[in-house]
Amino acid sequence: MAEIKVFGYTDKLSVKPGDKIDFHVSADGTKTANAQLVRLIHGDEHPNGPGYNDEAVDCELNGVWNVKKQFTQLGSFLKVEDPNNHLAIDGDFTVFGYINPSTPHTGAHQWIFCRWNNKTNEGYGIGINKDGHLELVVGDGKEVDYLVSELPMVKKIWYFVAATFNYKTKEATLYQEGVVNRYNSLLGKVVPYDYRSHTKTTFRFKQKNNPKTPFIIAGAIDNHELRGDFVSGTFAGKVDRHGVCNKVLSKDELDQMKLGEMPPKESIVAYWDTTEGYNENGISNTVIDIGPNKLNSIGYNHPVRAMTGWNWSGKNDCFRLAPKEYGGIDFHPDSITDAKWDVTNSLIIPDNLKSGAYAMRLKAGTNGSQLSEEYIVFFVRAKVPKAKICFLFPTASYLAYANEKLSFEAQIIQPMTGQPPTITDIDVEQYKNPEFGLSTYDSYADGGGVCFTSYRRPVVNMRPKYRTSGMGITWQFPADLSIIGWLEHHYKDEYEILTDEDVHSEGLEALKPYNCVISGTHPEYTSEKMLDAFEDYVAEGGRFIYMGGNGFYWVVGHYENEPWCLEVRKLDSGMRAWAAKPGEHYMQTTGERGGLWRMRGRAPQKFTAVGFIAEGFDTAETYRKMPDAWHRTVSWITEGVEGEIFGDHGLAYGGAAGIELDRYDLSLGTPPHTKIVASSGGHSDNYVLVTEELLYAYAGLVGSLDYRIRADMTYFTAPNEGAVFCTGSIGYGQSLPVNNFQNNTSTILKNVVNAFSKEKKLPGGLWTLEEKQWK
Amino acid sequence: MSDIKTKKRKTWKNPLAVWGAKGGNYEVATPEWKNPHQIWKDTKAFKVPTNKVGRFHYEYKSSNHGEKIWNRLRWWPTRRTILWTKGVYNRKSLKPEKIRKDKRPIFWFFSLLFLAIVPFILPDGYKNSLLTAGGIFGIYASINLCWTLVIGTAGIFSLATYAIVGLSAFLTTWLSINLGLPWWMLPMIGMIVGLAFGIIIALPALRLDGFYYGLLTLGLNELCRVFITTSHAFGAASGGLYGADTFINENWAPMTQTLVQYYSGFALLIAALFLFRFVDGKRLGRILKLAPEKKEAFAEASGVNYKRARVTVFLISSIALGFIGGFYAAYYRGSAFDIFSFHTVIMGLAMITIGGIGRADGAVAGTLIIVIIDRVLVELGPYRYIIIGFLMMFIILFLKNGLFGIRKQFRDWRDKKKGEARSSRLERGGEMLPEQATETDNKDEIYRRRYDKMQREFLKTLICDEVIEEHKQKPLGQHSEALERICYYFRRGAMNDKYVVKCEVPFKKYKIMALSGVRGRSPRLVEDKIYETVEAAYHGLFLRRIQDLMEA
Repeated sequence: MAEIKVFGYTDKLSVKPGDKIDFHVSADGTKTANAQLVRLIHGDEHPNGPGYNDEAVDCELNGVWNVKKQFTQLGSFLKVEDPNNHLAIDGDFTVFGYINPSTPHTGAHQWIFCRWNNKTNEGYGIGINKDGHLELVVGDGKEVDYLVSELPMVKKIWYFVAATFNYKTKEATLYQEGVVNRYNSLLGKVVPYDYRSHTKTTFRFKQKNNPKTPFIIAGAIDNHELRGDFVSGTFAGKVDRHGVCNKVLSKDELDQMKLGEMPPKESIVAYWDTTEGYNENGISNTVIDIGPNKLNSIGYNHPVRAMTGWNWSGKNDCFRLAPKEYGGIDFHPDSITDAKWDVTNSLIIPDNLKSGAYAMRLKAGTNGSQLSEEYIVFFVRAKVPKAKICFLFPTASYLAYANEKLSFEAQIIQPMTGQPPTITDIDVEQYKNPEFGLSTYDSYADGGGVCFTSYRRPVVNMRPKYRTSGMGITWQFPADLSIIGWLEHHYKDEYEILTDEDVHSEGLEALKPYNCVISGTHPEYTSEKMLDAFEDYVAEGGRFIYMGGNGFYWVVGHYENEPWCLEVRKLDSGMRAWAAKPGEHYMQTTGERGGLWRMRGRAPQKFTAVGFIAEGFDTAETYRKMPDAWHRTVSWITEGVEGEIFGDHGLAYGGAAGIELDRYDLSLGTPPHTKIVASSGGHSDNYVLVTEELLYAYAGLVGSLDYRIRADMTYFTAPNEGAVFCTGSIGYGQSLPVNNFQNNTSTILKNVVNAFSKEKKLPGGLWTLEEKQWK
Repeated sequence: MSDIKTKKRKTWKNPLAVWGAKGGNYEVATPEWKNPHQIWKDTKAFKVPTNKVGRFHYEYKSSNHGEKIWNRLRWWPTRRTILWTKGVYNRKSLKPEKIRKDKRPIFWFFSLLFLAIVPFILPDGYKNSLLTAGGIFGIYASINLCWTLVIGTAGIFSLATYAIVGLSAFLTTWLSINLGLPWWMLPMIGMIVGLAFGIIIALPALRLDGFYYGLLTLGLNELCRVFITTSHAFGAASGGLYGADTFINENWAPMTQTLVQYYSGFALLIAALFLFRFVDGKRLGRILKLAPEKKEAFAEASGVNYKRARVTVFLISSIALGFIGGFYAAYYRGSAFDIFSFHTVIMGLAMITIGGIGRADGAVAGTLIIVIIDRVLVELGPYRYIIIGFLMMFIILFLKNGLFGIRKQFRDWRDKKKGEARSSRLERGGEMLPEQATETDNKDEIYRRRYDKMQREFLKTLICDEVIEEHKQKPLGQHSEALERICYYFRRGAMNDKYVVKCEVPFKKYKIMALSGVRGRSPRLVEDKIYETVEAAYHGLFLRRIQDLMEA
């Protein structure tokens, strides 16, 4: 019997009573699993804390579930909607388009433009064969005939390619010309490659078209007895404008089309103008056919759009400025943004379910291995908010890190974390199986950075008890549960939760009912709508506690109807796992410029008073009170803390100030009246200054040599009795559970939450005159 | 680490001590500071002599068609292109050039063309004897091609080949004499004889292996000989059975007769070559290539029905051999008992082994050589057999697969020598030598190897008990310069075989694994040792890295 494995995901992340939520589960080696709904209270098993803690919840779904093996379609491609089978051409044809292959020499066949069935060998199309040559293929269901180009394709070069087939004489031709300019391709004019290739031959038979075969760009339909239809032979690389004609175009005509001309109008069956339908708020997932039949194609697993095209001139850096130069669509065979598994079970959230983080715990088998226990996490918000305190789960950031594989692939991870990774069976499992997909910290196999991430797939690091392998600590969701544990301990039944998704969709309205909003430990990824809502909330009198480090950092976006799939473009500067290519800095989902909020004039300091300054993963330090801590406007914050040093404990490297640190900086928009209550110091040299601070790189930008490397605990007041308190360190949240939530960092946070959650005025607000003491 | 004791000890002071930073190690013993740049100053040249590398482009390679259309001609009716020509970019110059992946058709074409026109260029004095030998060559080469199908393609070690030919020849001759069958029916009937005999001897092939089967078939061959030579019906008294109908008219001029003999043998050879090509190069042959000797079980487990393919090939070649027997009868008007003799079997074996078993070109060339020695150099008398004996000995002793295996054998030998020469010059973990660098497309990698080597040479001088003790006390956090440099190096290492800690039970049980460096491929466990804390695992992993460093 195979090893028992259970994995699952939900269709929604945030629900409220009355909403329906679907569970999608795939299992190996078992046909059943035991389900139990639990409310998650604490997620870190570190022996210095209270350990893992959940609360079993009565639920109609508790009990035995029938589960099965489910399959996942990998790879991005475009499927053409052609109900009348216009593209089943039983006659002369020309298939053409611009292509830019990323990895032409993978040793596997890649389909580019085809109406081909990989199972039955029927149809026609062009692709790249396993030796890296362009290839025209026709099949009659029994045999395959093909024509290959003279020279192999060179990676990351724009080509115009075309294939013609004469139905009567069975003569086939293949046309391949480089369209390299000074900007568009990896190489320039000085390289002695000759990209041209023109071949012809006479085939032995003609194409046979199966009415059920779809026309696919960047893949071909296939079938498996267990799995049914799926797409295989997916392509890595870009395509630009492409189409199909129902006549054999001459070499002269193709020469004109190579320069950007349209094919003769009367011959067009489909002409997909990949630059159609752009507007300033983005580009949809549909590629528009401007030919007579309107055979639009739909993107699966999010082919990346807003990419530079074959004619990119280098002058414009955004698809909104020069849409006609941005016809590029990038495909990756290992992309996955929706696993599309069958629904295993559904739940209508009962009215009595308390707001909080929940998981459907599935256990299968009896050996208790890590892979046979799954927590499918989702969040329940209040139907009608009653509490005054709200914890905001930074789900956008969970998504950005979903299934990251840094420990296995990134050479930088050990130098960065200053330690060897600590991996588990779960990490190995998700590394072995590409169906788990990648995070925005990984690159596709073809080298492109991953700019789409999704929760409609199992997310192994968004579950309790999980320790992030690179750093050996809890990270994101399980780390945030330390704050939930603390709230549960000190404010049981007085708090509710929200997620980034709710704030994005409802804006300020979602936050308004609460007096005090507490962030997660690492709310790094923020959409414009979210950031606007936070800012408005504080400006209108809300009180915000920023419980972490490196927050409000990256710009993210998503299609309004697809909240599960997030887009990130990493560029310019910032601590980033990859860099978007020149000209590809704007998001297709919103039309906004991606990258750091700081680069768009909204450094996190403007909202929270602090922003990312350094990160390190070998040690964590303590805070020391700063002289301003004694000022009566803020002295209430450290009330009850003995001595000047605090935070000498924690589940993350034993200190409250660590992991990622934020610093006060007036030049970046820290509110001028902000006070630094405390700062950390003595960070090791593994704490290195962040790249966006760098103008010139020089030796010594490390903890023991650069004064800027520290966590600042800050406080400022906003209009209408609003206020923002920041801890300036990710590790603060993980310091709370030590000694059963009774410790000095807990005391400080309690002081702040107590003050913030009350309707009345903030303490210390009247002590605003200049100091005139003489003693 | 024995010389470490003599190294001067120094103390390193932690710059974070003033902060009272967590974790201690404010002062640790450390080795004396060494200049990391010294190694760059001291290393002035490769440790081994360096030679110029690069191979001259002596062979003409055609360029690409550029703007022009390249018409891909095919071997009708297949989709194979002529000579399997492919365009590639030259790795050194990036210029396009053509490679022809299959040049054998060129050699076949010229060899067969030569055979076709040879009667017109032979000197008159030798013409008759050479053409007669040529006819014999054609027939024997055809027999050997069929035999090669049996021994090489099907892997059945049958020695009954000539028995099938002989039986077919005798039976058809007998039928021709007694029933007055015309010559063109003889090969047809021969095919039936071949099939019948083939079925009989195919059955034991399924049960007997190699050597035993060879013995059995040799025995059958001998039985046939005894039966025929003692049977009156087959002319026991006359040394053979003659009188069959023939396609060579005795009234023709002698030279015409010789030419017809020669060209009919040539035509038979062409037919045998086609048969070989269509059996060995198509589905049957491919199936059998998946099931080479001693790997049959694996092939069978993979779903390859190799037994059926073997028997099919055996039967096809038996039919062909029967055909050749009938042809033989119509060619010589009958057959001599000689065809069953042990001498014939041995000569046939010599023919197929000299060229290389399992190859068409081997069978044909081997036949040519033996026929020339045996039939042309008749003046040498019995010495011919000594020559053939020596030739066979030489080939068996020194060549792996006959004359046509020389190319591969030479290349293997050259690669082996190249490997030996390189490994004798390379130092472990050293930088690339010119002969390696030329094979590396990414030249950055060449420098990385140099830098890596320098770093390692330097870091080795820092390894001592003090740094190991310091790491043991505090695997993570601020370290002395010596330890920190070592750790920096370890952490930056390439991903393949990079060590990681594997958590079996959180906070209780850890092991050490090594990453694959290849996406989707699991890490491997490097040792079974269990560490009870993650810190102990960090240190165990560090010690492994130190060991790897010192060994490189």
